Parts: sequence; C-alpha cells; structure tokens
Amino acid sequence: MLAQQLVNALSLGGVYALFALGFTLIFGVLDVINLAHGAIFMLGAYAALQAVLLLKLPLPAAIVVAILVAALAGLLLDRFIFAPLRARNAPHLAPMIATIGLAISINSAVQGIFGAENLRFPVDALPAEAFQMGTIRVTLIELQIIFLSILLMVALLWGLKRTRVGVALRAIAESPKAAALLGIDVEKLFGVTAVIASILGGVAGVLIALYSNALFPTMGQPMLHKGIAVVILGGMGDIRGAMLGGLFLGFAEVFAVAYIGSTMRDAVAFGLLFAILLLRPQGLFGQAAQRRA
Amino acid sequence: MSARTFLAAVVLAWGALGDVASAQIKLGAAEALTGNAAQYGLPIRKGFELAMGEINAAGGINGRKLELIIEDEQGKKEEAINVFKKLIFQDKVLMLFGPTLSNSAQASDPVAQGAKVVVFGTSNTADGITSIGNYVFRNSVTEADILPVTLKVALQKTGLKKVAVLYGNDDAFTKSGYDNFKRALEGLKIPVTTTETFAKGDVDFKPQLTKIKASNPDAIVLSALVAEGAPVMVQARQLGIHLPFIGGNGMNSPKIFELAKDSSDNLWVGSPWSVENPAPENKKFIAAYQKAHNALPDQFAAQAYDAMHIVAQALKNVKLSGKLDGDRKALRDALPGVQFSGATGPFKFRQVTDKAGKPAGYDAVQTAIVSVTKGNQYVIQK
Amino acid sequence: MEWLDSFWSIYSTLVLSMGTNILLALSIYFTLSCGLLTVANAAFMGIGAYAAALLTLNAGAPFSLALLAGTLLPAAVALLLGPPTLRLSGVYLAMATLAFGEVVRITILNAEGLTGGALGLNGIEQLTHVGHVAGAVLVALFLSLRAAKSRLGRAFAAICQDETATELMGVHVRAYQLCAFTCGAALAGLAGALNAHFTFFISPNEYGFERGVEILAMGVLGGTGSPWGAVIGAVVITLLPELLRGLGYFRPLINGLILVIIILYSPKGLWDLLRGARRTAVATR
Repeated sequence: MLAQQLVNALSLGGVYALFALGFTLIFGVLDVINLAHGAIFMLGAYAALQAVLLLKLPLPAAIVVAILVAALAGLLLDRFIFAPLRARNAPHLAPMIATIGLAISINSAVQGIFGAENLRFPVDALPAEAFQMGTIRVTLIELQIIFLSILLMVALLWGLKRTRVGVALRAIAESPKAAALLGIDVEKLFGVTAVIASILGGVAGVLIALYSNALFPTMGQPMLHKGIAVVILGGMGDIRGAMLGGLFLGFAEVFAVAYIGSTMRDAVAFGLLFAILLLRPQGLFGQAAQRRA
Repeated sequence: MSARTFLAAVVLAWGALGDVASAQIKLGAAEALTGNAAQYGLPIRKGFELAMGEINAAGGINGRKLELIIEDEQGKKEEAINVFKKLIFQDKVLMLFGPTLSNSAQASDPVAQGAKVVVFGTSNTADGITSIGNYVFRNSVTEADILPVTLKVALQKTGLKKVAVLYGNDDAFTKSGYDNFKRALEGLKIPVTTTETFAKGDVDFKPQLTKIKASNPDAIVLSALVAEGAPVMVQARQLGIHLPFIGGNGMNSPKIFELAKDSSDNLWVGSPWSVENPAPENKKFIAAYQKAHNALPDQFAAQAYDAMHIVAQALKNVKLSGKLDGDRKALRDALPGVQFSGATGPFKFRQVTDKAGKPAGYDAVQTAIVSVTKGNQYVIQK
Repeated sequence: MEWLDSFWSIYSTLVLSMGTNILLALSIYFTLSCGLLTVANAAFMGIGAYAAALLTLNAGAPFSLALLAGTLLPAAVALLLGPPTLRLSGVYLAMATLAFGEVVRITILNAEGLTGGALGLNGIEQLTHVGHVAGAVLVALFLSLRAAKSRLGRAFAAICQDETATELMGVHVRAYQLCAFTCGAALAGLAGALNAHFTFFISPNEYGFERGVEILAMGVLGGTGSPWGAVIGAVVITLLPELLRGLGYFRPLINGLILVIIILYSPKGLWDLLRGARRTAVATR
C-alpha cells in the first residue's frame, strides 16, 4: 500500500504544482492574488473538451486550442482589468476583488452555455493504458502529468534565467520602478506574464480534467484553495517553491488519508500550512524575504 | 383610432389578461438554477415543466390551467428563504415546490410552515425535514427505507461478507445516506473493513481507494452523487479494484454511463425509480423527456415529474374558492389522501412525527427497485 | 401601511441579512483600517453562530446570553490567535487566517456529536428581530465612527501608512493591531449569532472560503477609509443579486461584471468615489 500511496502522492502533487505555477507567476511579477486563476483553469479544460467534441480534434491539438483560449483570457485580463488598475494606482486589494467578480462571471457564463452538470472527455480520446509494476498501478495520464509538470517547470525556470524576457521579468519582480529605469517595457511584460500564467493555468485545467474525468463550471474553486496553500508553502512568487510546495501538499494529503483518516485530509493540509506560516513565514522552501514593503 | 379608443382597447385587453391569469392555478418552485447545485435543480425544473405540459394539454385541473413560477435559489439558504417569501407573499402562489438541497430546506421550509403554505420537496432526502410541520411534504424517498433492501439483495446475489465504506462527509445528502448505510450494515451485521470520506468538489480519490483496497473488502458501499461517484468508480478501476459498488439514491442516474463509461459495471443501486422500469407510466415519462431534451432523465427529473402529478391529483378534489388562505389549507388537507402511480411506481404519503412526537409532515411510501449495472445498462434484480 | 406590511413579509430576511452583512463588513473594516489583511472573519462568524445556536437549542439559554456568548467566544479565540499570527504581514497573514478558517470549518464538520456535522443544526428558534439587528448595527457604527476620530483611529491610520515609523514614535503597534483583530472577531461573531437566529438553520459550509472572500469584497468595494465604506459595500453586495433577479441564468454573470466595473471606476472604494463627488460639488458651487 505504501508504494501505491507514494505514486498517488506524486501525481496529486504534480497536479497541484501545475496549477500553482501560473498562480505564483502572476503574484511574483504583478503582485496580484489572481482569484480568477481557477476560472481560467476551468476555461482551458472546457476549451479542450469542445475542441474534441465539436471540432473532432485529437487531444494534442485540443490542448493547443486550450492554450489559445487561455492566452486570450490572460491578455484580456491584463488589458481590461490589471492595466487600468495599475494606471490608476489602485490600492493593493483592488485587483484581487476585481478577479473575484470576474471569476463569478466566467463560471456563470460557462454554466449558461455548457450546463451545470459534470462533463467528461470521450473515453476513446483518452490514453487508457495502465501499467502494473508489482503491487503498483500507474496510468499513462498520471505519468504524463508528472512529466509535463516537471517539463513546464524546467522550461519556465530556463526561460526566466536565460531569455531576455525572463531576465526582464525577474528585474520587474524585484522592482518595477528600477526595471522601468533600465529601459524595460514594464507594461508590455506585465501583459506577457498574464498570458504565460494563464496558459499554464489552462493547460493545468486540461490535464486535471483528464486525470479526474470530471469537468464542471466550478472545478477551479477547490483547486484554487489548494493552489493558494501550495504557493504559500513554496514561498510566494517562487517557481521552484510552487513545484516543491505542490509535491509537499500532495504527500501531506495522501499520508493524512493513509495514516490519520480521510476526514482529516484537508484539516491536516491547512493545519500544516498554518503551522508552517507561524514557524517559517517565508514558506517552507522560500528564501528569507529580501523585500519588505 | 383615436387616443381614447386606443386607451380603452388597452384597458379592455389588460382586463381580459387579468381574467386569464386568475383562471390559472399559480404554483411556485424554488430550485437551484445557477451555481453548484444547478446540476440537480435544472433536471428538476425539466421534470416539473414536462408534467405541467401534460396536465395542461389534457385540459388542466377542472378546466383551469396550471402555471408554474420558478425562481432561482442558487443552492444557498438565505436565497431559499428570500425566494420562498417572494413566492408566498408577492406572487401569492397556492403551494411551493423545492428547494433543491436538504440544507436549504431546513432553512426555508419553516417559512412555508409559518405561512401555512404547502411545501413539497422533490429532492430533500435528509432526515428530519418533514418533522418541521404538517405543511411539509416530500416524495423523495428517505434512504432509511431503501438502503436495507439494496444491501439485502446485493448480499444475496454476491455473497459479500465484509464491506468498505466511502462517503462525502461535508454534504447533507451524502452524509445522511452514510448514516442510513451505517444503520443498515449494523442491522445486517456486516463488518466494515474501513470507513473513508471525501469532500465535495474533490477530484482525487486514489488515496482513499488505495487504503480501501488494502483493507480487503468484498464490496464498497458508496454514498455519493454521480458528480463525485463517477470519478470514484473510474479511479477505482484504474487502481485495479474490480469489486462491486453499492450506492445510494445519488448514484441512480443513467449519467453514470456517460461519466464512468467502461468503468461503470457492477454498481448496485436501489430506488423507486429506475430508467429500466418497464411500467407504462415510466416508459411514457422517459419517452416524453427524451423527446423534449434529447437525453435520458435522472431520478431528480422523475421525482419532480411525479410530484407535479401528485399535486394535480390532489387539486382535482379541491374546490378552489379564490380565497388564498382557505385554498392553501384545502390543498394541504387533500394531499395526504392522494394515491398515485407514476414514473417512480405506486405512491402514497405517510405522516411522520416531529421531535416532540406530535404528528408533522409527510414522507413517501414506495417500493425499491434494486438494479445492477452491466454493459452500460441498469439490470433490474428485484 | 399595508404596503409596508407586505414589503416586510417579502423582504424581512433580506433586510436582516443586510444588517448582519453590515456588521461583517465593519468587522473587516477594523482590521483593514490598521493595515491587517485577515480573512478569518467567516470563521469567527461561524464560531459565534454555533456558540449562540447551541446555547439556545440545547441549553435553553436566553437570547441575550446567546448573543453575548456569540460575541465573546470569537473575541477570546482572536485574543489567543492574534499574538502568534499578527507577526505575519500582508499576504502571509491573509493565508494564515485563511488556513485557520478552513481548520475551524473542518473541526465543526467533524465535531458531529455537538454540531451535527454536515447536516448542521436545524430548528433554531427565530429570535432575531429587526430591533436587535438595527441596534447592533447602530452601536457598531457609532463606536467605529467615534473610534475613527479618536486617538485609536489616528493610531490605526498611522499604522496603516507606515508601521515602522509609528512603532518608532512610541505607539505599541502590535497591541493596537490585536485590539482591531479582536474587535473584528467580536463583531463577526455577533453577526453570526444574529444570522443563525433568523435563518432556522446553520451548517459548516456557510462559513468557508467563499463567505470569507465575500466579506473581504464588501470591505474593499465600499472602501476602507471610513466605516461608511463598509456600510456601502455591504448594502451593494447584498442588494445587487436581488435587484438582478429578473435576469435569470445571467444573474451571476452580470453581478460579477458589475463588481469588476465598480472596482475599475472606484479602486479606492465607493465611499471614496462618493466623497470625491461631494467635494467636487462643493468646489464648483
């Protein structure tokens, strides 16, 4: 049982990490807690599903559709909500409250169009393979999720380190003012960040929908709660932290079920988060905060 | 046409409209049409509308048509109370259907009881709802009556000796189902290897299922709605667990074949309604529903459909005076006597008692049909 | 007066909800106004609601005692919780209080013998009258308006502007913050206790993440510069869905969009916008 639970924890942790990547990126660069990330996550999943059902596209092409839809959502999010609020020098909490309203609207629109009932990808669109290794069973989807979340994280880390955009983004995360003085087009890069983060969210939506076999308009909500926990565990705005935080939460939940009791699953996760915050405010894997506003 | 004659014409038309409106019998429904619970509220609405269409097409009630005012209560208790008050005091409906969730019913049904208006739940299964008072009715069968039968049949046919239990512990519907399963298992002296829970909106059930697998049961007792129950079955089969599942009311939906295709075999459910029940009333209901919505109905739709017919039956024996208070009471007095056979089979009411032991509202008396899934179909066992 | 009777029979619950929402918005105003982003208000509301309801249901306690307990118990919890958590700042504080809220919700869910678990507590007597709610709102509003103009309010504003500088000036920042946190908890608890006694029923899921975010939205939407901001925020968030009832399926869609538009046009809150409008009106006169 232990070996199987380890596999479960790894894939659940991968799922959480995948969701948290985009969430943490927006926080790190734009300094916004984007409560619409769950809605964009759901939008990605529904876009891919419709691409499979209506356009009869194969799964990889459907993921491309999801990426496009999520990118568009991210672009609009920055263009029509974050940018005007930045221009008006809005207080810290204003963008977060705006994203609450946006999430309500997106969820409601999707429910109005596609219904409130659970949907799923057609069985023949899914890779159905499962591998038996001793007592352990792993499905291909789980392996793909673990692989993809590692791949995305590595790509993101590489991009931030090596590309010019990445270097500029890191400069903005340190200090938007200083970055602007260095001649970086800060406004444009805010937009780029929102798009990249939303793409990450949308792809996470597709993968998690494939993993769980269930799409519903509010599917982003529980994930958002967990995503927030992951981002805090990993240290706000820390990409590697999001990955480790995701895995940590996955393991914490699975082992809470295995050894404490499943009624305590969420209590353990959030109790741990609470305890960690009190003991290590910078997060489990974050460096000591350099910036203090 | 001069302005004056035009005005006169408008007034006349308005008056005529008023006459038509008063000739209709106004019923209210508060259901969750948006938000998370809309997945149950929307089929319920379809069930009501289907039955009302049939009744009106057949000439209505003693020559008067039925009119249904349906309001969205979003699955929230405050909204349910607000909507109940609006329907009772503003729209002045004769009686109320709803609300969708048991938790909302606990908050809103006392409002109807206080105003002496019949409230008829079609989807509230939690214990204690009808103890609120003698204006509270429901045709949603409490699982206390159904689950022991389901378990007994599954026991006979599969020879199971011990079971594991999995249920949603943060939702009134699934928690209530679990309480009844627990009682039934104790009654039948079936040992439980492990009891696991999940939360509404969870997408990952593998840690619990892995634990269940290790505890080596002969079957898994599952108190869940299809939204979570279907992924549970899919993930169980992925983990190589091919045991039978024994579900409650919540798992009795043809939607399981869509959501857990190829993983849905060997699910035992018991309910008065089955999509496979060959009774003519049910066949008629399913055909009409399919024609209107191009999809199979579920139990929520079936119970709403029957509820509307039950009220229509009662109304046939009520002489409506036009005085709202008197009419509301007359309907209350007529309802308990209704005997009806619909999509959910033969039906009658049974009075329950409140906490103090005094007679209160009315629960349904119906017989369970136990079926098991095989090859994307329910197969009736009893 | 007939129309008033019929208005009241239709909308009494809405009016009472608006009152308790104003209390909740004021509860978050307290912490926001001294620079603390805490979102435990929903949990405090739940603690207050359960404490009061259990007292009237099981112990047959008088309503006044239940209200008192519903106010004091969350305040006591806040006094215990405050010292370790208020060391955190910004988002970290928000998340710690959010996590605390989830733990409270799950504890209520699991303490089935006492709280009824997911099935909640039903059959709570309808003891809350409009007088109770109006009284509570007036007292809370009066006190917070007085506080805003007093030394306390000036200290809050100073802390909000610059914590370190205020500390250097000899103001005991942590003590003021703990005071704000505790007062907020007491108000949220009172709101919960009142709310439980006009809705017949309470269950743990009402006091989760969504409620916490809704309370925060009321506080921010109205504006954190004055207690009046909290009142406006609560009124808008309560009334908006009711006014949009005619829209059917699109109600939440439009509701959400309106929230976004309000924030876009008055990022500092509606109170700020109204005050600005008044000031311009005075200036152009």
